[in-house]
Amino acid sequence: METKLLTGNQALALGALHAGVRVVTGYPGTPSTEALACLLALEPEGVYVEWSTNEKVALEIAAGASWAGQRALCTMKMSGLNVAYDSLISIAYSGCIGGLVVYVADDPGVHAGMAEQDSRGFALMSDLPMLDPASVEEAYRLMRSAFELSERVGSPVFVRLVGAVAHSQAPVEVEEPAPIPRRKAKLVRDIARFTKAGSAICTAQHRDLLARLEKAARVIGEMGLNRLQLASKAGGLGIVASGVTASYLEEGFEIAARFGFERGAVSVLWITAVNPFPTDEVRALLRHSSTILVLEELEPYIEKGICVEARRMGFTGRIVGKLDGPFERVGEYGVEQVVRGIGAALSLPIPDDLFQGSEAAESLAAERPITFCAGCPHRGTFMAINRAIRKAGYKKNEVVVTGDIGCTILGMNPPFHTAWTEVSMGASVGLAQGFVHGGAETPVIATIGDSTLFHAGIPGLINAVQHQVPLTLVILDNGWTSMTGMQVNPGTDETFQRPGDRRVDIAELIPALGVERFFIIDPFDLDEAAATIQKALELPGVKVVLSRQECAIQAMRRGIRAGKVRVIPENCNLCKLCITHTGCPAIGIDEDTIVIDPALCYGCGLCAQVCNREAIERVGESASQRVSESAIERGSEGARE
Amino acid sequence: MSLTSRITHHASRFTHHTSRFTFDILLVGVGGQGVLSIGEIVAEAACRRSIPVNLYPIKGMAQRGGFVKAQVRLGREVTGPNIPQKGADLVIAMERSEALKAVRFVRPGGDFVLFDHVWVPMAVMLGKADYPTPEQVSEQIQEAGGRMHYLAPESLPLYKGVPVPANIFVLGAAVGHTRLADVLSPSDIVQIVQTKWTRGMERNVFAFQAGLEAPIQES
Repeated sequence: METKLLTGNQALALGALHAGVRVVTGYPGTPSTEALACLLALEPEGVYVEWSTNEKVALEIAAGASWAGQRALCTMKMSGLNVAYDSLISIAYSGCIGGLVVYVADDPGVHAGMAEQDSRGFALMSDLPMLDPASVEEAYRLMRSAFELSERVGSPVFVRLVGAVAHSQAPVEVEEPAPIPRRKAKLVRDIARFTKAGSAICTAQHRDLLARLEKAARVIGEMGLNRLQLASKAGGLGIVASGVTASYLEEGFEIAARFGFERGAVSVLWITAVNPFPTDEVRALLRHSSTILVLEELEPYIEKGICVEARRMGFTGRIVGKLDGPFERVGEYGVEQVVRGIGAALSLPIPDDLFQGSEAAESLAAERPITFCAGCPHRGTFMAINRAIRKAGYKKNEVVVTGDIGCTILGMNPPFHTAWTEVSMGASVGLAQGFVHGGAETPVIATIGDSTLFHAGIPGLINAVQHQVPLTLVILDNGWTSMTGMQVNPGTDETFQRPGDRRVDIAELIPALGVERFFIIDPFDLDEAAATIQKALELPGVKVVLSRQECAIQAMRRGIRAGKVRVIPENCNLCKLCITHTGCPAIGIDEDTIVIDPALCYGCGLCAQVCNREAIERVGESASQRVSESAIERGSEGARE
Repeated sequence: MSLTSRITHHASRFTHHTSRFTFDILLVGVGGQGVLSIGEIVAEAACRRSIPVNLYPIKGMAQRGGFVKAQVRLGREVTGPNIPQKGADLVIAMERSEALKAVRFVRPGGDFVLFDHVWVPMAVMLGKADYPTPEQVSEQIQEAGGRMHYLAPESLPLYKGVPVPANIFVLGAAVGHTRLADVLSPSDIVQIVQTKWTRGMERNVFAFQAGLEAPIQES
């Protein structure tokens, strides 16, 4: 036994490893990314780990491994589960052989972006067991339970963490097990289980699925995953807490005690297994209590389940929660909800301002919209798009530019104000076609990053090619899945692929899809890039512009810079064009000249290209020349059609 | 206030509601300032003394110069990651404007260390938006009942002619001037700093020790 300081993601990954996982797949997405990333870095012997093209592919690989008898883990953020769900629900109906655990990270309060969805709803819809660890330590411990449950029941099992647990770091007692012998693959052909051909097979699978969920309830009971503590005296308050909310209970009790709360008079049900519904424990709690307080973040799934049981039992007391009580379905829960809930349930005099800090202070803070890093090639691409729109004779608010997921979406922020939409991975390409069919009389542009294109952008592009929809797709290829912390994707340079893996080159892929008007640009060459995009806007049919330069952060980590620039202060009249056009964080203002922070500057030279007073000059070799010598081959060869 | 009286005050404060010892720290700043490293050092120092700890960093946009926040909760065996409003025993703010986002979290009577570094957003640079003055920030902290410890950015010392890392210096200042001293041992932190970054080890230790003695304006 050893105590280690781990994040929730690391704890979950290590838990899976110590449970004998053999295949781990996933797609990066905050707050889940680090779980797979840390296993990839560990390179554990006998365990296959990969970043897959998207979550659906990742899940299918994990399911295949499970059907061959191995323990498998698949990791994703909540939005990724939406992508994987088509396969997931089919796999749920088939069940599994080797333990199959699907890790999904939700983001209540939305610290990373995307819809604030509650993935527990997916467990309800697919009738799969779901565990919802309340802490980092539980994330480690429950992985063993999850795999055991999965194999005893023959069902995939969800483990859900919220961002606050996934990203928290806490000491965990880690116990490395004795080496777990590798299972020999067992290949079972059973079309009644593993196909969906016909009503007989599908309805039988549905019955089996429900039977597995029922068995899961029994196994979860035996494993003691949910914990019920009844007060010595009946007729008091019963509190139900699930997931991270449970971790605030003790603190809340201490605070509420100042206002007359008595811990000993309260019964508590801690729910770790949120699906199947813990009917027995809830009924026992209802029998023992006069009022129920339900503490769960986001959707009132447990609360609704309790209302059903209350109705079946003839319980007439109050159920305090979101349906009839003080709580919202939006945002994170904390100790405040525990104390306020207790106050509401027991009519305690909790002062209104107990957790009400001054909001006046925050209103004085300067807004800090995030922008591209210094040297980011996306900056040049969005500057070029803006210039191309202007030169083609349109105002910026006349041309729809659909945006997509990842760093590229920062093109929506100042100073670019270019992207209009952000929906889901790859959606920019489909949305753009809709705007065309919707009657847009101006050119329609879609923007997408490299990893996002591979993930889900290609089917949309094929659709545009088949139906010959006039649009311009700009692919911002920086060679990495950057927003989530620099993961390798299919297009990443071969040098950084795992030995034996192969790069899929977007420059070869696009023409192969039937795109006839295809251009490659260097985003650090503003004139040429803008002229090429303008030309594309004016041509008919499907046009694809591939904008290529490596992510500057990655290049700088290897000591590479695109070039060097120098400010000539006597030429600078502080017109600030360089700042208003690039928004580059490396540029600042001194007394009577702009200044460039040499530690941040990547030498992309975009500021020098917008300066009209020759106050910024490039020193040494030109940017594109220098960078094309680096590991990633880039398209500085100019436009080709 | 002398160290002894500080400890007495501290002990009485914690025996008031519970016999257990808890201490919540909120760290704020801008990506690139090393805010999260402060959290990691504190968490590790707590671990060394077997103090239960939960560190929750919010770092999504750290690399892109965005708002960064980390919460360290010490002393509870079971603890939720988020500190409630008016709950932080100590706030460490590394940037003037971002400090304002932490004000509603300081406990009345809690310590608020402000390293008054200024990192102006583009709109401010272009004269299109306002930026808070030090007086505004200090007024807000005092209104919230926080005990402000002001560190001028000019107080950042040089080591071999180069300014030391601000995060380690500010951590030193917090240990030297607030109740954090009752929780963490300076020698533990020195050891952690030494093992965390083998490169620039002497510079970091110098930064921490300079922070312990830093010229702080108390109010």
